[in-house]
Amino acid sequence: MTKGPMDNRIVVGIILAAAVGAAVLATLRLDLFGRRDVPAQYQYKLDQVAEVDPNLVLYHELHQRIETGFKQARTLSVDPNGLIYVAGDSQIRVFDQVGKSVKAIDIPARPQCLALAEDGAVYVGTKDHVEVYDAAGQQTSVWPGLGPEAVITGIAVWKDDVFVADAGRRTVLRFDRQGQSLGRIGDKDPNRGIEGFVVPSPHFDLAVAQDGLLRVVNPGRHRIEAYTSNGQLELSWGRFGSDIEGFTGCCNPVHLAILPDGGFVTCEKGVVRVKVFGSDGRFVGVVAGPRQLIGSAGEVCQTVEQCQGSSFDVATDKIGRVYVLDTIKNQVRIFEKKP
Amino acid sequence: MNDKPQQVTRRSFLTETLWGTCLAGLGGLAGLVIARSRKNRTLWQIDPAKCVACGRCATHCVLQESAVKCVHAFSMCGYCRICFGFFEPQPHALDEGAENQLCPMGAIRRRFVEEPYYEYTIDEQLCIGCGKCVKGCNAFGNGSLHLQVRHDRCVNCNVCSIGDACPSGAFRRVPADQPYLFKGGHS
Repeated sequence: MTKGPMDNRIVVGIILAAAVGAAVLATLRLDLFGRRDVPAQYQYKLDQVAEVDPNLVLYHELHQRIETGFKQARTLSVDPNGLIYVAGDSQIRVFDQVGKSVKAIDIPARPQCLALAEDGAVYVGTKDHVEVYDAAGQQTSVWPGLGPEAVITGIAVWKDDVFVADAGRRTVLRFDRQGQSLGRIGDKDPNRGIEGFVVPSPHFDLAVAQDGLLRVVNPGRHRIEAYTSNGQLELSWGRFGSDIEGFTGCCNPVHLAILPDGGFVTCEKGVVRVKVFGSDGRFVGVVAGPRQLIGSAGEVCQTVEQCQGSSFDVATDKIGRVYVLDTIKNQVRIFEKKP
Repeated sequence: MNDKPQQVTRRSFLTETLWGTCLAGLGGLAGLVIARSRKNRTLWQIDPAKCVACGRCATHCVLQESAVKCVHAFSMCGYCRICFGFFEPQPHALDEGAENQLCPMGAIRRRFVEEPYYEYTIDEQLCIGCGKCVKGCNAFGNGSLHLQVRHDRCVNCNVCSIGDACPSGAFRRVPADQPYLFKGGHS
């Protein structure tokens, strides 16, 4: 029995029906009559703030990036031999300059910040207490907890002192190397001209400069304050501003590191930019801007990780390289001053 | 007029008690059925941990005025003087002038608390759920401003047109008896 014209019409009909169905479906999916585009007035744009004059960028990135392997890298520090200590998850991982893993130290609690002493001891700040490890990675002491309100976010070691930044109580605590409390620094005291720290979010960093003065970021006041070890406020610098010389947002900078020449490296969040200031607080230039660090200058964020607020950490080494810990990609990026 | 008190007989007492028990039982059963059906019912909500505040909540809702509004988790707020959920990225001045405010509807109110702290509240009548403030707050601050589907407005479409357009998959079904996913535990 041969196929007649009726069979052909059925086949053509089925094809036509399928084509019409596909067209209808495509039209519905395209939502041609819907409001697809988000109007400009609803978009958060940072084009102008995030744009960095290329002439101000004084550093270039070295080729290799170090994959830390952490799910959530938190902080980093570099020892005098150039070994890079990165803390995250529940571990400290140590890498050489080409990213080869040298050793790892398991931390029972989640590390928030770390500092390296001259004798190789590693001071790790967790949410509410400090743990100390020797150069071999053996735990030597666990200091008593600072209480439920404590949120330790920064730690620095200088000679016989250990300074701990507690964002929860908006204060800096001074300890000896054995963990004995020696006092508080930076609490509001109008008689001493101290306005007090304003720490809206858990980003509160500190470092000790070559002059022996403790430098503390006062993020809510957008400045760096210098204190003696007995808590005398000596000087401060920095200002709010969306221009490249200022610190933008509600509370910046979020991290601080000291260069061998006494200068400062700062890192901001929101508009992620790493900048260099002289030892007197004068703006010197830029290590890297948002376009280089995040990959987008105009959009404040695109991915969930970016949009949920992230802060990159910074560290320096003895030859003036700047190490940036990308806490979104969990990589260490190394920048060197341009020749 | 009959002053003699009506006598309650044993029969009438038992009858009324039985009726009362039956009515209470029916009420309880109805309550149970409603509670169960409510428990099984689900509603659309935004997971704040996934939201990227793209702006589509303001433009893709089937309602003329979106069912999504900004809410504020005060327990998470830093009460910043310079709140980047409130101010334009490059404000002319740090005051409440309309030209300095980020919100296109002027829906955020700020009130001085004490130096240097300010309190920020959302005027839900004005908020259109664009999430501009949420983006600024997340990127620069603590992320206390966040978006939620308001169930006094949401018509609970089978397919949520905002959820369909959401680039980060932040829309999900939640039980009707727990209809909000507030940050900080409460708002």
